[in-house]
Amino acid sequence: MGSFLSSFFGGASYSASEDSSSSSESSRVSTFHSAPRWQLHFNSVKETPKLMVIDFSASWCGPCKFMEPALNDMAARFTDVEFVKLDVDELPDVAQEFGVQAMPTFVLLKNGKEVDRVVGAQKNELEKKVDKHKC
Amino acid sequence: MAVSGFEGFEKRLELHFFGDIDEDDNMLGLRLLEFESLEQVLFAVQCTVVSAVGNPFFDAYVLSESSLFVYPTKIIIKTCGTTQLLKSIPPLIHFANNLGLHLQTCRYTRGNFIFPKAQPFPHTSFKEEVIYIEQNIPINICYRKASVMPSKLPAHSWHVFTATCLPPLEFPHDDAAFTVEVCMTELNRHLARQFFMKSGDGKTGDIGGKEMTELTGIDTINPGAFICDFAFDPCGYSMNGIDGDRYSTIHVTPEDGFSYASFECIGSVYDDPDDIVVTLKKAVQVFMPETVSVSTTGCSREVWTKVAHAFEPLGLKCRSFAMDEFPAAGTIVFQTFTAARRK
Repeated sequence: MGSFLSSFFGGASYSASEDSSSSSESSRVSTFHSAPRWQLHFNSVKETPKLMVIDFSASWCGPCKFMEPALNDMAARFTDVEFVKLDVDELPDVAQEFGVQAMPTFVLLKNGKEVDRVVGAQKNELEKKVDKHKC
Repeated sequence: MAVSGFEGFEKRLELHFFGDIDEDDNMLGLRLLEFESLEQVLFAVQCTVVSAVGNPFFDAYVLSESSLFVYPTKIIIKTCGTTQLLKSIPPLIHFANNLGLHLQTCRYTRGNFIFPKAQPFPHTSFKEEVIYIEQNIPINICYRKASVMPSKLPAHSWHVFTATCLPPLEFPHDDAAFTVEVCMTELNRHLARQFFMKSGDGKTGDIGGKEMTELTGIDTINPGAFICDFAFDPCGYSMNGIDGDRYSTIHVTPEDGFSYASFECIGSVYDDPDDIVVTLKKAVQVFMPETVSVSTTGCSREVWTKVAHAFEPLGLKCRSFAMDEFPAAGTIVFQTFTAARRK
């Protein structure tokens, strides 16, 4: 599809954002695909005062894709903060538990309790809040 | 009036698609378009995404030059400045076709450019725009109409082009929604100053946007809506309001000499007509402009007659009224208002 598109646009080379897929291997954002696995991890993190940021998103969500590079970048810079990505289709009960109504929704937790949240791909606001709440 | 400056007046494109929307895909339709594909489309238009949010009904993007809304069966793009909005048509049709979706209706509207000579092809004239659209939509979209709706003000007229493959008697009756597009010029200077970033502030983008939303009272226009906002450097503001399946959107070019603000929202024939009037009044009060034009598409007679009186308490008098029928869009009414003290 890539080569078709580049000819479609008259040779203008515009490559889609490479950040999202290629950096996922080295990305500091972890993910859990089942509720039990998530619960296990969440229980273990509850005891620590470390800030955890949960990104509730979906594979088909455009606004979530837009936010990905910024999130990966933040995860790389804030090494003392844990970043977790949860797919609302894979873990619908967890999404409901956290009252997720729009996407992406970022929930900031410390000791298992919500301290703040950001709704929408608000890059500056998320960075400001992560900076504010990290130990 | 300045000799040159940023063009606030937007070009607006609404495309409706039909096709097999698989139940398994949760009826997502166009929302399944890859974000990378949307970026390609926006690249052709020459703008980028600066903020975004999605709810169960649609995705809303704030762009460097206005907004983009993606519903399962329709896409609405509104862009200002010198963007080449119509260049989004070929790639959008292509990407939608890949999803098994086909173009059903196309609607293009815009006001009068403040700086028409600064516009690039195909926006050099309405004629060029219509020719371009006609050349880039499938030939089965055969019911077409282009018209310029006038007003008594030379600077304000409303350009409309609609095209559909639906025969006249088959226009969707379940489309209870109507659109209201408000264009405001010569904004009150003091109010417009609120849309300049405070120097040395460092408050960029969405944080600065949030402040402007609260300071100007834009958050009171529809208190139930979730707002995605953005403040531009050194001035300018955009917001998308999301409320269920409805959007509202505001874009501001605050500079003196070519100040402009737009407000657009969706209403429903099931709403109380007074509600939309209250909303429009609140929106106009944020800017207190010298001139307002309001275009309604598909609403009832009751709504547009109420709009005519909506701004009287704000000292704005209705100066012109034009009405016409367009394929698939239905009745489009274009009214202009200026300060009552002006003759």
